[in-house]
Amino acid sequence: MRPEVCALKILVTVKLVPDTNADKRIDPVTKRLVRTGVETVLNPFDEYAIEAALQLKEKLNDGSTVTVLSMTPATGKEIVRKALAMGADDAVMVSDDAVAGSDLWGTSVVLAAAIKAQNADLVLTGTQSTDAISGDLPGMLAEKLGIPGLTYARKIEIADGRVRVQRETDNGYMTVSAALPALVSVTKSANEPRYANLKGIMGAKKKEIKALALGDLGLTAAVGTDGAKAKLTNVATPPVRGKGQVVQAADGAEGAKIIVQFLKERKFL
Amino acid sequence: MIQNVIAFVEHKHGTVRRVSFEAATQARALADKLGGKVHAVVVGDGAQTAAEALKKYPVDQIHVSDDTRFLENAVDALETVAKAAGNGLVLVGNTMLGRDVGSRFAARVDCGMNADVVDFTTDGGIAAVMPKLGGLVITTCALDGDFGVAAIRPNVFSAKETSGAGEIVQIPSSGKASAITVEDEVEEAAAELGVEEASVVVSGGRGMGGPEPFTTILKDLADAFGGAVGASRAAVDAGWVSHGHQVGQTGKTVSPPLYIAVGISGAIQHKVGMRTSETIVAINKDANAPIAEFADLLVVGDAFAIVPELANAVRDAKAAHA
Repeated sequence: MRPEVCALKILVTVKLVPDTNADKRIDPVTKRLVRTGVETVLNPFDEYAIEAALQLKEKLNDGSTVTVLSMTPATGKEIVRKALAMGADDAVMVSDDAVAGSDLWGTSVVLAAAIKAQNADLVLTGTQSTDAISGDLPGMLAEKLGIPGLTYARKIEIADGRVRVQRETDNGYMTVSAALPALVSVTKSANEPRYANLKGIMGAKKKEIKALALGDLGLTAAVGTDGAKAKLTNVATPPVRGKGQVVQAADGAEGAKIIVQFLKERKFL
Repeated sequence: MIQNVIAFVEHKHGTVRRVSFEAATQARALADKLGGKVHAVVVGDGAQTAAEALKKYPVDQIHVSDDTRFLENAVDALETVAKAAGNGLVLVGNTMLGRDVGSRFAARVDCGMNADVVDFTTDGGIAAVMPKLGGLVITTCALDGDFGVAAIRPNVFSAKETSGAGEIVQIPSSGKASAITVEDEVEEAAAELGVEEASVVVSGGRGMGGPEPFTTILKDLADAFGGAVGASRAAVDAGWVSHGHQVGQTGKTVSPPLYIAVGISGAIQHKVGMRTSETIVAINKDANAPIAEFADLLVVGDAFAIVPELANAVRDAKAAHA
């Protein structure tokens, strides 16, 4: 943490994803996701990170600020505005054609450089995105930044220059803490994200969105499709799952019998 | 070029998680094709005990570190082993800990990482096969360079004991201080089998009407199979069951051999989290629920009447085999 200041600079990474409620289709020829007619939204997992950041800022009440950061095409501006409307102070967008096709590694390199440039004390992320669903970016970012990474946090506190979180585990939680600067990934159990009100939406229009290109970050490593360490070599569509049987059961015993028969045929029983 | 394969072993006080045995077994198959060696890395409290369990698996060397730092010990140990081997594909489970450790290792050595891997190809180098977009597409990604990480989906690869006798090698302590302090660890629930690892998942949805069925009739059916209880977003959002059970786009992705959806309509949110399951059985009162479009069998009827009968029948069938 920068010792001369008490107020924290909290940074939240956000991502643009296809609408989670849309039934997605694959173009049979290009094998790419059909994006026409599919709205893009703020990654639902990121909303918990934004809410956590805003709650920390409000609780600290010492001039701490919340900046949202997104590596996104220019079309991501609306998503960033949503975060601003919720209450973030300003935003940084890294929009550059050269990042298109970046793998996890490339994404971590670009975002880590952007976070470093912002000199953040605390970085908050969602646990994963609804499109890639890997959940690997928080760990990669922490390592690239050389700061402690506290993942899967459901409760976050800041005190005496340290961040303490309740980290979800498979059957409970553990309490872990580290000195700032640190990175924390925030789970769905942490909070209930607020809705942007009209005042927030109007106010967001006046907030600054800084646009950066790769050149502004002083990056030398090649990212994007060419720089990918995990290179996409094939995209196939799986065999279409046929519609199965639909059987009406008169009562519980008959329903169970139908299922048992089916499971025996398939060697489950 | 990657030739060696390094399995990261997850364990709790020496009890090894099944996905790590799967990783060790798969590591052998890959290393044989690539012409390299198989290493296992075990760290933390109970590492020696876990290493002994690993001896039953086809691993050449089992590297043990008693370093108890959280996460950092695993990443440091993997780096030590991988660099000494000269190259290596690190296999971790696609679990909370596996993802943390694998992603940190990938960032540290600047290599590619593939998540939720269900298969591999080895023609002209190693590549990982992964369903994406909820199983809409199957992608293949080649891991270029000397190192790579693959997080394997639990329950997809088999775990086979062999007469393998891995040599146990001690990793010297790094003596480094921990940046992360673990203050306490609390177990809130009995160590349940997670939905990601269970071979049978019994999930409930809005049709369950409240929290009780999740701990009574659905749990009973899951127990009869030796499986786990899952839930749709609607059930989790209603507060009937905790988020750890949620299957779907904002929950967990599962692909067990058998998925039983009870009182779940089959909305897209849920579908993308479970449609790669091998066999899907649904119980629903609505014959026109969207799940009819992708379930192998939809039984239309009263779940509250069918599920207890089914649990009894499953127990009977299993007892008859025993």
